[in-house]
Amino acid sequence: MRADLRLAWLLTRGSDRREWWRVLLTAVGAALATGLGLVVAALLPLDGYHEVTVGAGLLDEPGTRAGVIVALMLLLIPVGGFLGQCARIGAVHRDRRMAGLRLAGATPGQVRRIAALESGLACLVGSGAATVVSVPTLLALWHHPDPLSWAGMLLVAVLVPVLGAVVSAVALRRVVASPLGWIRRVRPAAGPGRLFRVATGLLALLALYLATTPFLGNPFDFALVPVTVFALCLLAGAVSVWLAGASARQLGEGFAARARRPELLIATERLRDDPWALARTHAAVLLVTVVASGFIGVRQVLLADLHEQHRRGHLAMGLSYYTSGLDLTGAAVLVALALVLTALAVGTAESLATRRRGLAAQAAAGVPHAVLARAMLLETALPLAPAVAVAGMGGLTIGVWYGSATSEHMSVPVPFAALLVPLAVYAACLLAAATSLPLLRRSIRPAELRYA
Amino acid sequence: MSNGDDSPDSTVPLLAARDLAKAHGRTEALRGASVELAAGEILAVTGPSGSGKSTLLHCLAGIVRPDAGSVSYAGERLDALPEKRLSELRRTEFGVVFQFGQLIPELTALDNVALPLMLAGTSRPDAHARAGEWLERFGVRGQEALRPGEMSGGQAQRTSLARALVTGPRIVFADEPTGALDSLATEQVMTALTHTARETDTAVLLITHDAQVAAYADREVRLSDGTVAPEFSTEATEAAV
Amino acid sequence: MIGMSTRHILLGLLASGPSHGYDLKRRHDERFPQARPLAYGQVYTTLQRLVRDGLALVEGTDSDGGPERTTYRSTEDGSRELARWAGEIAPPAPFVTNEIFAKVVVSILSGGDPAAYLAAQRAAHMERMRELTAVKTAKGADLATVLSADYALNHLDADLRWMTTTAARLTTLTAEVDAA
Repeated sequence: MRADLRLAWLLTRGSDRREWWRVLLTAVGAALATGLGLVVAALLPLDGYHEVTVGAGLLDEPGTRAGVIVALMLLLIPVGGFLGQCARIGAVHRDRRMAGLRLAGATPGQVRRIAALESGLACLVGSGAATVVSVPTLLALWHHPDPLSWAGMLLVAVLVPVLGAVVSAVALRRVVASPLGWIRRVRPAAGPGRLFRVATGLLALLALYLATTPFLGNPFDFALVPVTVFALCLLAGAVSVWLAGASARQLGEGFAARARRPELLIATERLRDDPWALARTHAAVLLVTVVASGFIGVRQVLLADLHEQHRRGHLAMGLSYYTSGLDLTGAAVLVALALVLTALAVGTAESLATRRRGLAAQAAAGVPHAVLARAMLLETALPLAPAVAVAGMGGLTIGVWYGSATSEHMSVPVPFAALLVPLAVYAACLLAAATSLPLLRRSIRPAELRYA
Repeated sequence: MSNGDDSPDSTVPLLAARDLAKAHGRTEALRGASVELAAGEILAVTGPSGSGKSTLLHCLAGIVRPDAGSVSYAGERLDALPEKRLSELRRTEFGVVFQFGQLIPELTALDNVALPLMLAGTSRPDAHARAGEWLERFGVRGQEALRPGEMSGGQAQRTSLARALVTGPRIVFADEPTGALDSLATEQVMTALTHTARETDTAVLLITHDAQVAAYADREVRLSDGTVAPEFSTEATEAAV
Repeated sequence: MIGMSTRHILLGLLASGPSHGYDLKRRHDERFPQARPLAYGQVYTTLQRLVRDGLALVEGTDSDGGPERTTYRSTEDGSRELARWAGEIAPPAPFVTNEIFAKVVVSILSGGDPAAYLAAQRAAHMERMRELTAVKTAKGADLATVLSADYALNHLDADLRWMTTTAARLTTLTAEVDAA
């Protein structure tokens, strides 16, 4: 184990700048995950009414507190997406290095341990930093924290690095199984796995069941609404991911055959070549689009409802008590959006870095920088358009359904504001992709021609 | 390109570099190298690894700017041109072939060869027609729909040659074009390159460490430690020994 | 090519059927284009020795109105001897010394400039390689021409590599030779 640790350290220290980026961003992601986990761990043991100085009173009542905890846990999804994207930085290089270790005589177990130690250490740094900041903050807010909170926080601080290590060991299973094959093989354009299809099917059944419950005469349990919204969000997300992948091949082939401009030709042929790559990168974006546009719809319904009750004097608390909850959720959605956009930018940068030798050769042959830049942006813009549209429609449907399910006695306008979400997300995605343009200029430097 | 002061004297070289110097960090890749290339000439640049061969090609093709010295192409100083114009020159007047990597992996052989024409504004059907002719000329017939990953190394390099020559350049820069090929594929690629260059009066600057490849050229320049090694004529040495 | 067994090459040419001396010489020069051409005298002397050793027979003579020609054919023994020779392994790397190396050493001993000699020899080798490459890439060159040119090119290339390595190690060699 000590030899493995030393080797892991040597490999990390001797690795190039991209690997350091991966370590740094992984640490940042781990810090975010730990931070969220720590807050949840601190809140979970609370029972009954507590006066909490933060959170606009939402943390005082057990009911609303549970809602906040669920929202925080949902935020772990985009954080996970971000971490997944970070793991791809320099992944090809790392896989080759690990395969090289295997060829040099390392046992599968050793390679797994070294890889696990590498990412485990990065996650440990992140979780350590988050814990160091969180503990004094908690002590300042809460003079005698529950021992259970301490236990929960310790668990989170340890669990994040351990999970990071386990995930990275699992990710290397193919390298471990066949080191030579992995080095030589060109990765096939893999579609979604069986797990994804089964999960989508189950989600669809669940959503169908839940959505038809009110019409089948069963008394509709109000508690089912959040579950239904959650299931519908996941379903719409899964469908748009699938659509992004499935349409990319047709889009690529259709456009490539007719492309007149070189940048369109390059972008569409890349789409056709690996249609699922972009779907994978964009999965989190699409999920957030569904959630965001769904949220806009739900928010509009809730606000109309609240104003109605406020007018009739039915509200127990001030209007701001209810709206601040909505605002906090909105903030969480924005945080999620920021996270997935960062992940998208990282993904684009990684795709450029992997192809830099080829890009440098194109530039050397006189392909103008502008053509390469436009091809890069088109690669994001083309497949994302239909997927984001479907995701937005899904979110809109969720909003409309929620309105009709919860307020039969009240006519709710269709939340057209939700349609602005996909447009905004689409524009933000293009901007995120455009952050890689300076990297493109650096990637095509002639110095890149010197390396294989 | 050329203007009024371009003398009709045929001894003026098409491409001339004087006292080129270029450093990569602290490594001096070129230390005062001078080379001339006449129109239609096939020149081999040989030398041991690290002697500055690739850097010389990059400077001559206007891919990098030398730290010192000058490069002139048909009377125009390349080292002083803006990047946009250099890009255009490389696209229209020059062709480049590297050991590998110049073909876009996602494009078919036909689209790869058609790309430089499309960049110049040719419509895709016209570009395809001309690209097809060039592929046939280089013996890559029936492979138009293959992508670089599906071709053998020799086919890929002949496709690269077609791509480099499709715009009708005056100079082709080839950096170890056969470096990854076996001897038979090397022979096919080099024969295709030299025959076509001679038929179309295209000059070739060929970087290689392989004497058998250098033997396809009209003349050889040897680099060592970033400078051109002095040439020994047989007579000169007879006097010396 | 010459210096190898001319008798076996002639036996090989006779294997496809009876032939006369002039025809054998012409076919030899066609088959081995980059080899030194056979002299008529050598062809006739070799054929007579083959007959003496029982490996070939005189088939007959005809004149066709011109000068009289003797036609030869291979015997059973000739075919056997040919098969034996063709299957026999040529001794690998027979020479451990060569003229170039000798000149380098002599040049060091006599205080000459071995580096200059090697550079000049290199230039001469390259010149010959360019000639041979031009021969083999000429339009319409047949495969026999290409292959025999390749044989020579590969040997010249081997010399060239040896010269490059030697040139890079001249300082050590000079010290060694001077010390001895």
